[in-house]
Amino acid sequence: MKKKADIRKIEPYLYITPITLILVTFVVGSVLISIFLGFCKYNIITPPQFRGLGNYIKLLDDSKFIKALWNTIKLELYIVPLQMVSGLLMAVFLLANRKHLLGKIANCVIFIPFLCSNAVVGVVWRELLNGKFPPVEAFFGLFGIQPSMLLGDSKSALVVVAGVAIWRWMGYYTVIFLSGLMAISKTYYEAAKVDGAGKIRSFFSITLPMMKPTIIMALFLSITTALRNFELIFNLTGGGPNNATTDLVMYAYTLCFKSNSAGYAMAVSNVLFVLVMIAALFQKRLLKRESSEL
Amino acid sequence: MRKRVFSLMLAATMVGMTLAGCSTAGKPQDSDSASKTLDVWLAPLDDDTKNNWDSLLTEWEEEHDCDVNITVIPWDKYQETYTTAMSSGEIPDVGYMYNEMFPTFIEAGAVVDMSEYITDEDRAEYKYLDNGNIMGGQYGWPIVTGVPFILYYNVDILNELGEEPPETWDDFVRICQKATQDTDGDGQIDQYGYAVGMNTSDIGPVQILNAYYYSVLWQNGSNIYNDDLKSVAFANEAGVEAMTWMKDLTQYMNPDFMSYSWSEAFSTIFGTGKAAFGVNRSSQTDETTYAEAYPDLNWDYVTSLKNVDYGTFGATDSLTLMSAAEDKDLAMDFIKYVTSAEFMEQYHAKCPGAALTETESYVGDPKMERIYTEDKDKWHGIQVGPCSSDILTQLAADLQGIMTGELTVEEGLAEAEEYSNNLLNEYWAEQG
Repeated sequence: MKKKADIRKIEPYLYITPITLILVTFVVGSVLISIFLGFCKYNIITPPQFRGLGNYIKLLDDSKFIKALWNTIKLELYIVPLQMVSGLLMAVFLLANRKHLLGKIANCVIFIPFLCSNAVVGVVWRELLNGKFPPVEAFFGLFGIQPSMLLGDSKSALVVVAGVAIWRWMGYYTVIFLSGLMAISKTYYEAAKVDGAGKIRSFFSITLPMMKPTIIMALFLSITTALRNFELIFNLTGGGPNNATTDLVMYAYTLCFKSNSAGYAMAVSNVLFVLVMIAALFQKRLLKRESSEL
Repeated sequence: MRKRVFSLMLAATMVGMTLAGCSTAGKPQDSDSASKTLDVWLAPLDDDTKNNWDSLLTEWEEEHDCDVNITVIPWDKYQETYTTAMSSGEIPDVGYMYNEMFPTFIEAGAVVDMSEYITDEDRAEYKYLDNGNIMGGQYGWPIVTGVPFILYYNVDILNELGEEPPETWDDFVRICQKATQDTDGDGQIDQYGYAVGMNTSDIGPVQILNAYYYSVLWQNGSNIYNDDLKSVAFANEAGVEAMTWMKDLTQYMNPDFMSYSWSEAFSTIFGTGKAAFGVNRSSQTDETTYAEAYPDLNWDYVTSLKNVDYGTFGATDSLTLMSAAEDKDLAMDFIKYVTSAEFMEQYHAKCPGAALTETESYVGDPKMERIYTEDKDKWHGIQVGPCSSDILTQLAADLQGIMTGELTVEEGLAEAEEYSNNLLNEYWAEQG
């Protein structure tokens, strides 16, 4: 009898052993190795040499790192708000028009970019912008823009990267917001209608407050996905012109694999890791507060 | 109960599979009966490198009782694959490297100095052996060379302008100036002097140096490093003059030159007849392939312009004997065989390339032959020195900054020089 009870105690741990092994090996292990190598001079080929805080001190004086950090922040600032607004508006549009033909088509099409890899999206957009396609030229011409100039200008190149990233992820966030919207009971809207509230008032007084947990979750997902632009940048601009589109991930990649400075690259990655950790902790706190309020 | 036992079994199986997946299985055993194996890593040298090589190696394999395992590494992850392989201990016996790759591997002791394997006959036979002499040792055994970046010109445009093919910088600027014009009278420039692309998303930042910068630098008598490799030379007076000349050419370039990669600029602007000049990596088969790709283009080429000197970049890629090779004599025999006239004549018959040896005859298009005869001394590889990847990546970024006008020539070169010299100082200090 006691033996059976013991087995029952162990049993749950056995179930989670496979995923724990995978997580410990590939996530926790990688993070620990990265933290350690961040304190080393390491070129992947020869054994690492410990150099204390040397890499981190070097970061403070590294203009390319500062530029990459600033580009990362700018990308976040461009992508996150626009992604939230566009995703939410698209979700509202799809929900309102889900029975119309246009809504049905949009419902199917909106998710397609998300199914493509970033690398493919990057190549396709570079071709679209540089390919001198008359419809593309005409569209940008409406705003007085020559599309083939966009990727080569250090001011516009980062905006293009952000725009393409928003376009790619829009379907993903639309689906998240759509599920949040569909979870709101119709009775709230009916009651508001009886009280004489219009569509806009209902949106701000019912939809937005009820969507708050979904928005917070989407917001922090967006903060982390906005960091995942490596393949896009790689294929659109290669990080140029003059590092104008090099973000921290791209910089770490270049250091690690082009300059053979893996130790220093780990230090750059660890800074990024800390930034993401702060964002994750902030999200957790917000969500906790939100759920206690609800 | 049964369900629980089944679930536990599934969990145990997953653990087993996870562990098995993480285990190092070692090199796969070949089913063939040969007593030796040789692992060779190559870059994509043609459309079907593995099969093309395998079919030509049968005799050598039988003669040496050896299986050659060819692995073709894609260009976009080339250096990464080598470095990560080094760290995981999965190193080939024979590698294939471009010159800029060597310093890190030489410093790490990952490649062998092949000097002791070179005989007098080899010196007489192999034409480009010196190109594999890097940092004081024969670490590379050239296998692909003779595809320099050359200046192509549109014969029709030059004829219309009443110009002869350019020989000097002055000729080039004059023709570019005349060629940059509005041909259809709509008030927009639609024909350019020079088709250029400096977007580095193609195959890395260094490519824009290969295509456009080295030639200008060398033609003006400067270089990347000073001779002692302890500091850089590209920001000296000749270097500043060269960069200024290049910057001044932007007025004759397609205005979107920073959005296109060098190959896109060549194909979409020069290839469609919208520019007098374009730069591309030459090939012995250009005459044939361009006839298909650009049927309306009447083109010819100048291997190199001359200012103070001639010079344009022609890469040298080499086979290298890896330190991890168990049987170095066998690996060396293989390297010599595949670079010999016996092997290369068969291979070049399938995939044309420059003859590596004195006894191999030229097999490319007649139009391209003068690159390897009268113009042979007008192209060469780059100096190989410490920290080259870092230095060249920084230089490429500053070149972009200068060309877009974000930096002045002096600012850009000074930034690249300071960065490079700091790296070199650190490097040489560590070397003692």
